[in-house]
Amino acid sequence: MSKRKDRMVLGINGGALGGHLGGWRHPDSFPDTTMRLDRMIETAVAGERGKFDFMFLADGNGVRQMDKPLLFAANSPSDRPSVFEPVTLYAALSQHTKHIGFVATATTSYEEPFMIARKFASLDHLSGGRAAWNLVTTQYVEDAKNFNRDEHMGREERYERARESLDVVRSLWDSWAEDAFIQDKATGRYLDPARVRLTNHRGKHFKVKGPLNVARTPQGQPVVFMAGQSDDGKELAAYGGEGLFGTASSKDEAMAEYADIKGRMPKYGRPPEALKILPGLSIYVGRTEAEADDLYGELQSLISPALGVTYLSKIVGFDLSRLPLDGPVPDAPASQALGGTAIGRSVLEMAHRDKLTIRQAYERVLPAMAGNMVKGTAAQVVDFMEDWFQSRACDGFILSVPVQPRSLKSFIDLVVPELQRRGLRPEDYVGSTLRDNMGLARPVDPFTRERAAS
Amino acid sequence: MMHLATIPNLVGGHLGGWRHKDAFDQPVMNLEAFIEMSQIAERGKLDCVFLADGNGVRDMHMPALFAANHPSARPAFFEPTTLLSAVSMVTKKIGVVATATSTFDEPYMVARRFASMDHISKGRAGWNLVTASNAGDALNFGLPPQARDDRYARAQEFYEVVAKLWDSWAPDAFPQNKETGQYLDPTRVRPTDHKGTFFDVKGPLNISQTPQGRPVVFMAGQSEPGMELAARYADGLFGAGTTKQDCIDAYANIKGRMVRYGRPQDHLKILPGVSVYVAPTAAEAEEFYEELQSLISPVLGVHYLSKMLVRDLDGLPLDGPLPDDMAEETVGGSSLRRYILDMAKREKLTIRQTYERTLPALGGPVFKGTPTQVADEMEDWWKSKACDGFTLLQPVQPRGLRDFVDLVVPELQKRGIFRKEYETSTLRGHLGLPEAPSQWQPTAAERGAA
Repeated sequence: MSKRKDRMVLGINGGALGGHLGGWRHPDSFPDTTMRLDRMIETAVAGERGKFDFMFLADGNGVRQMDKPLLFAANSPSDRPSVFEPVTLYAALSQHTKHIGFVATATTSYEEPFMIARKFASLDHLSGGRAAWNLVTTQYVEDAKNFNRDEHMGREERYERARESLDVVRSLWDSWAEDAFIQDKATGRYLDPARVRLTNHRGKHFKVKGPLNVARTPQGQPVVFMAGQSDDGKELAAYGGEGLFGTASSKDEAMAEYADIKGRMPKYGRPPEALKILPGLSIYVGRTEAEADDLYGELQSLISPALGVTYLSKIVGFDLSRLPLDGPVPDAPASQALGGTAIGRSVLEMAHRDKLTIRQAYERVLPAMAGNMVKGTAAQVVDFMEDWFQSRACDGFILSVPVQPRSLKSFIDLVVPELQRRGLRPEDYVGSTLRDNMGLARPVDPFTRERAAS
Repeated sequence: MMHLATIPNLVGGHLGGWRHKDAFDQPVMNLEAFIEMSQIAERGKLDCVFLADGNGVRDMHMPALFAANHPSARPAFFEPTTLLSAVSMVTKKIGVVATATSTFDEPYMVARRFASMDHISKGRAGWNLVTASNAGDALNFGLPPQARDDRYARAQEFYEVVAKLWDSWAPDAFPQNKETGQYLDPTRVRPTDHKGTFFDVKGPLNISQTPQGRPVVFMAGQSEPGMELAARYADGLFGAGTTKQDCIDAYANIKGRMVRYGRPQDHLKILPGVSVYVAPTAAEAEEFYEELQSLISPVLGVHYLSKMLVRDLDGLPLDGPLPDDMAEETVGGSSLRRYILDMAKREKLTIRQTYERTLPALGGPVFKGTPTQVADEMEDWWKSKACDGFTLLQPVQPRGLRDFVDLVVPELQKRGIFRKEYETSTLRGHLGLPEAPSQWQPTAAERGAA
């Protein structure tokens, strides 16, 4: 297979907390992180120094794990009991940075398409073309109770709604022609009424007239990310995703998934390069292998078995705390046969495939939040990344770093130069927008499309 | 001390404002211009900048008016909480107040955005709660136009849920103790468990207690249910009234209602909107005013008045009176509509005279003249208990705000009725508001035992 000529896409996942459950307790972590804007600014500025394409923030609309006080009090990195609302946070960070992109999560299950379209369009203007929306349908059922519902919507309904919401949001982003706002003081024509169009959407889940009250954005449209790994999620990504946070737990799995999702794109008239598939990857890097091993060992030792088992229970979606620590991981209970998350299912598969005990399973899951990890020197880390990239297991990665700010700094100082030396990453930002830097085409506005067609 | 908010609308408050030679050349989505405005306001030690907002493109059915862009149309503008989060990075003291609607948004989302903004700005955030009177906006949310009473019933419950969500966490809930591994204290957070007519919200909010305890809450409604809700819950009120006497009456009315909720009158600051045309001499102020009036053709003036009154006046004699069958209430009409109608009736104005009076100030009062004259009027209104301060509109930006800050603010400071420096760093502090009540504050008994 010939070597790829395109650039590897690189994002940094999370903020100031670190991705390992024990990360915040490490001596080299920030002394405190809750609602510390200065730490987020420091992270964004560091990311820009490392020429990362974007920061990525997962998000939810609820306080989670309150029914598991041990885990709740220990603050697992993906539970976020107290974090900034991501779009307002990025609006603030946009004033401290110039190049790094901002991927913020918003859910189609509880938010109106008009509101979503507006806040991301606003962020795209504020940041000069660096905004992306990570579309999620929300997996955590308890969040529903913050939005007038006792039960979460089923997956099928969530994805049907998500697709309709995406269509509406994109149509709203297409409301105005690039040149709609004349702002001519002499004639008094502020805007051209012929250069704006209604959305007039009437669908199963939404009725939205439009147009959006934000001018066309610097990127034409903000970039759209997704994260779902279910069949519905893959289909939606092929239909309309431009970035995909992958969760495949091995290279073979990632290659199969890559081929599967890209193979679904032609039927929507989309070339494969219009979607970047970016698996999560946790990085434990040191100047020597021993240094990387030490960091890893230090972090693992911070987690008590009780906490580890609770964490694993949360990931797989059922309680393991009454089972023997050194006994096997059981199958999911029948009640969960159709539910659970993609990550939960992939962890169970791994545990069964590798015949892990409960203790071994949580020890495997901790360092990478159940995703992929690589540990070693910069050369070893880059070997791993290059292999996945060249094997078309991915188009790049969304990195998780275990201890902040130490781990991001190590990655930037040790790994980034090696990536650049091998030509996998550019020496500097190639463009001024997130689309430019990710190698995504800029959408043409419908007015120009119509003119070209006539 | 008088309190001053400003609406840093980049197109200015006069329908012709954006066309004036001293106006910003490219106001659409212009972040730099907005930052400049906020910094001028901070230089003037103003309490806050305030952004009105809506969720729709308006007046598309009136192409002449639509193309001319009247000041409250906002066909293309930043979403206000994102804009003000950015602006709080380039200012240090001034409050930032954004509008969000209780009619189309979710309490959990609103609580979250404003709590986030309060943390980002380190205690300078305010939420202007509106019920969205514009009928067309509902069509962006799959809803029919909402009747006023329903909107306010929902608004009251919405506010109550948001206030409870903001009080989810105790101030000491996040020990973040590396030694013990206790990041948070599960006993220092409580669910909201709200079950009401419009909302069921379990809570808690996923944001710790904010620097202000809770962001400052403004309201704007002047209707009967609007005044009642403000008396009960608002910290600030963007009032409206065309005359000093209107404002004196409204002030007494609203403050009088506070008693039944056990609230001291100074816990709500009433800041009526006023448009300022100021210049070093009275002749220059007059000239400025006329320059702007001359930019508006009669056709455009009539369209604008039609919009404000929610009634098509096209084709009626310019120099005749308004039709005498104007409805008392309309869905989609605002308090301004009533003020304009009252003014036209009281002063027996023609259609032309009515639009000419409406143009310079969106139907609100105008203070025009030298710095001394403007300060005299402001002081008079303030001392007459017509208000606790003002929400300033300037006809042309950035000239209007700059002139106000350079000419009028020093005069107010000289008279000792406006601050010379910020004395606090939070919006709650600037406005002289009490600490927000919280379920986590020790009770009197607990304080006594300690």
